[in-house]
Amino acid sequence: MSSPLLSVANITKTFPGGVIALDEVSMDFHPGEFTVILGENGAGKSTLVKIMYGIYTPDKGSIILKGREVEIKSSLDAIKKGIVMVSQIPQLIDRLTVVENISLSLTRIGMFETMTRVRRFFKEVGEKIGIKVNPDAKVWSLTYTQKQLIEITRAILLDAMVLILDEALTYLPMEERRKFYVYLNEFKEKGRSVILITHKIPEALEIADKIYVLRRGKLVGALDKASANIDKIRDLMFGEAAKTITYERFTKPYETPVGDIVLNIRNLVVEGDYGEIAVNNVSLGVRAGEIIGIAGVVGNGQRELLEAIVGLRRVREGRVVIDNHDVTNKGVKLTRESGVGFIPDQPLRYAVSADNNIVENVAALFSRKNFVVNWKSMRELSEKLINEYGIYPPRPEMHVKLLSGGNIMKTVVSRELEYASKALVAYNPTRGLDEATSTFVRRKMKEKAVNSKLAVLFASEDLDEVLQLSDSLYVMNRGVLYGPFDPVSTPRSKIEELMVV
Amino acid sequence: MRIVLVRRKKPLKYGGLVVALLSLLSGIFVFTIFAWLIGVNPYPVVETIVTTFIFPGVVKDFIILTLLGYALLIAFKGALWNIGAEGQMHMAFLVSIYITLIVFFTTEKSLPLYISIGVILLSIVAAVAAGALWGGLAGVIKAYAGVDEVPVTLILNYIAYFIGDILVYGPFRGKYVYGYARTDLIPDPYKLSIPVQRQLSGNALIDTVTGYMAEFATYAVWLVALILVLIFTYWLLNKSNIGLRIKILGSNPDYLVSLGYDVRKTMVLTFMLSGAIAGLTAALYYHGSLYRIEYPLEYNTASYGYLAILVAWLSMLDVYLVPLSAYIVSAVILGSQRVSSLPSVREAFTRLQLGGAEMAFKLLMFGSILLAYSILRFIQDYELKVVS
Repeated sequence: MSSPLLSVANITKTFPGGVIALDEVSMDFHPGEFTVILGENGAGKSTLVKIMYGIYTPDKGSIILKGREVEIKSSLDAIKKGIVMVSQIPQLIDRLTVVENISLSLTRIGMFETMTRVRRFFKEVGEKIGIKVNPDAKVWSLTYTQKQLIEITRAILLDAMVLILDEALTYLPMEERRKFYVYLNEFKEKGRSVILITHKIPEALEIADKIYVLRRGKLVGALDKASANIDKIRDLMFGEAAKTITYERFTKPYETPVGDIVLNIRNLVVEGDYGEIAVNNVSLGVRAGEIIGIAGVVGNGQRELLEAIVGLRRVREGRVVIDNHDVTNKGVKLTRESGVGFIPDQPLRYAVSADNNIVENVAALFSRKNFVVNWKSMRELSEKLINEYGIYPPRPEMHVKLLSGGNIMKTVVSRELEYASKALVAYNPTRGLDEATSTFVRRKMKEKAVNSKLAVLFASEDLDEVLQLSDSLYVMNRGVLYGPFDPVSTPRSKIEELMVV
Repeated sequence: MRIVLVRRKKPLKYGGLVVALLSLLSGIFVFTIFAWLIGVNPYPVVETIVTTFIFPGVVKDFIILTLLGYALLIAFKGALWNIGAEGQMHMAFLVSIYITLIVFFTTEKSLPLYISIGVILLSIVAAVAAGALWGGLAGVIKAYAGVDEVPVTLILNYIAYFIGDILVYGPFRGKYVYGYARTDLIPDPYKLSIPVQRQLSGNALIDTVTGYMAEFATYAVWLVALILVLIFTYWLLNKSNIGLRIKILGSNPDYLVSLGYDVRKTMVLTFMLSGAIAGLTAALYYHGSLYRIEYPLEYNTASYGYLAILVAWLSMLDVYLVPLSAYIVSAVILGSQRVSSLPSVREAFTRLQLGGAEMAFKLLMFGSILLAYSILRFIQDYELKVVS
């Protein structure tokens, strides 16, 4: 076996507040190898790669590149050493064009280099990966997939030896992902190394040559392709909780609901961020106790539709009626006060105040009508949510910014589910959550819908989730809603087809 | 083995206090070196600065700056950079003057107590309202027109100054001012300060103690207001829904939006609360110490509104540290004034043909302290660590 291209040895990292993110973690990354690091939320995956990319400094431990111990001072330093990371959220500047964005980061392109040359570079690589993006398009006009493609193209143009993908492919449609795998295989054959971070096991099994599993900051398993299988990995990732994971439909003991229509949407037309028609004549009704799922590839109007329903976005035409009250264009305040819980897209950005603690974040929603906040009851409520959803570390006074992404998501989901008394409107309710927690959250949603007669409307890019949870489902594509379909009798292939056509 | 800079896991214990005190000490040290460089004996310089910290004259500035510090603290918590305490104070002055010198003007030396108190209360309430409205105006421009609050509040300061100038030249000009562009003195029954007579004993320590007591007695009403404002600010930020909204506004306004709060109204409200306390301070200052305003108007406040920004920053937006940082700032202002009028300093200026540089010299100490502060603030958040 060849010697590793990059190694980390005995890395330990503790965060403010004393949370141990990584505990004596050692891994080797060999040339020509596709390594996947798996772990549940808060296992320390992102922290580890951020250390390799110079964003965090480890408390202890070393990084060895090509047999020599190195110190990575910053991301720029990492890039110079041939380590490039692409993260889950595209780090592009929206107002600039594709080429301008790329030229910003290319160290091998001199200050006086012309854009023409950058454009040529971009086209060369772009053709290989099969990306069809106009290099002079402004970044804001691109879809999420296209932005991720550009990020990865940029990493390749930077001549990466080690390419780190921090959930960079997780939310891409299957089709696009497959294209990438072909290219990434080519990439690693040239003696380079790819490291992929994910909490989705199927994604890991699709491509990994080697799998490392992290659990609560410790390395708990190193598997090669031959020995890896889904059950084994789940056991390593979740321990006891692995048994709770399921993608079975939640049917029994739940009955099919036949309540009144709570959420009634009639002929809705909504504009997107740049004035384009994002939602085109959409109508649907959600009954009390019913869960309706909207499947679709990201960027097809789901976000705009849900935002318009809760009042965050202007409705151009059509009506939104909640519990027989017309709330069209009357603002979020009214929908919130009618008992609507809302989990927005990018909850980390729109659904928490990072500088405040969990109790304050909870109080902001639940004490909305109290002039003086009842802090005692808010604290108790926060403790209840923390216990129920296993938010870690279990400290109500913890500032939200010190929690891991998955735990922030749990804070948001638990709060909104608790608050919802009439309806829940959610976008990717389990995004960023690991399998065990996702299953748990979906079960909670189902229970709450049935027990509290809640009307649930959610959109998700995860078709498995839509199939598991929905009483009836729709597909959204380019602003048009197709359906309803019965999740049991409709063939999966038909739904997938509608998503991409 | 290597040395790296990392963010501290836990904030330093008493970090805020240590930083404030250390920046003060190192600031004075740097300032003294400058003094020494221009040939001034450092000993009297240090002595003057240090003794100013136990100098009864500090009390007045201390109370005013603490009050204003709280006014700005509220706005800063919401990430609204209210540079406009000056303007909010001036608008408050104008309504207080209208009430005391136009509507209820009297030449009587004394009035029944209930009338005095009634007029003073009315004046204070009106001043609070005026400050709140002037602050709220900045909030409205920021929230509804999307203009950055820093230039807006700064411009509103000048508008307030100029409105005041016009009024002092015109309808507010006093009857007993011998042609000066200023208002009459506030009638005696409306004065809030309590005149205190004291005899000097000749013993420095005793005189300092009695001096402080005399100052606190003189400004007893201010002190009561200060305590009330402290309690109010603490309650607002830690107990009330409005305070929670202000804090979230300062951290992530998008979250407020998705909760269904009106972000724009919250902004305006925050500015109004901030302006209200500035207005209250103005009324107290006018009734208790200033007694009249004169042209040009910006000289009346001795830049309190701007110094309060320093107070709020130095306190690191900690409710409990505001009085401490106000005391430090007051002592530093007074100390630097006293230093620049030292005979040896004046002599040095003349010798170096730097006559008139006293002002710059004064600012030099501020600069030194701020420099030390920013360095220490960094050390408070980061530490050097040896990694093996």
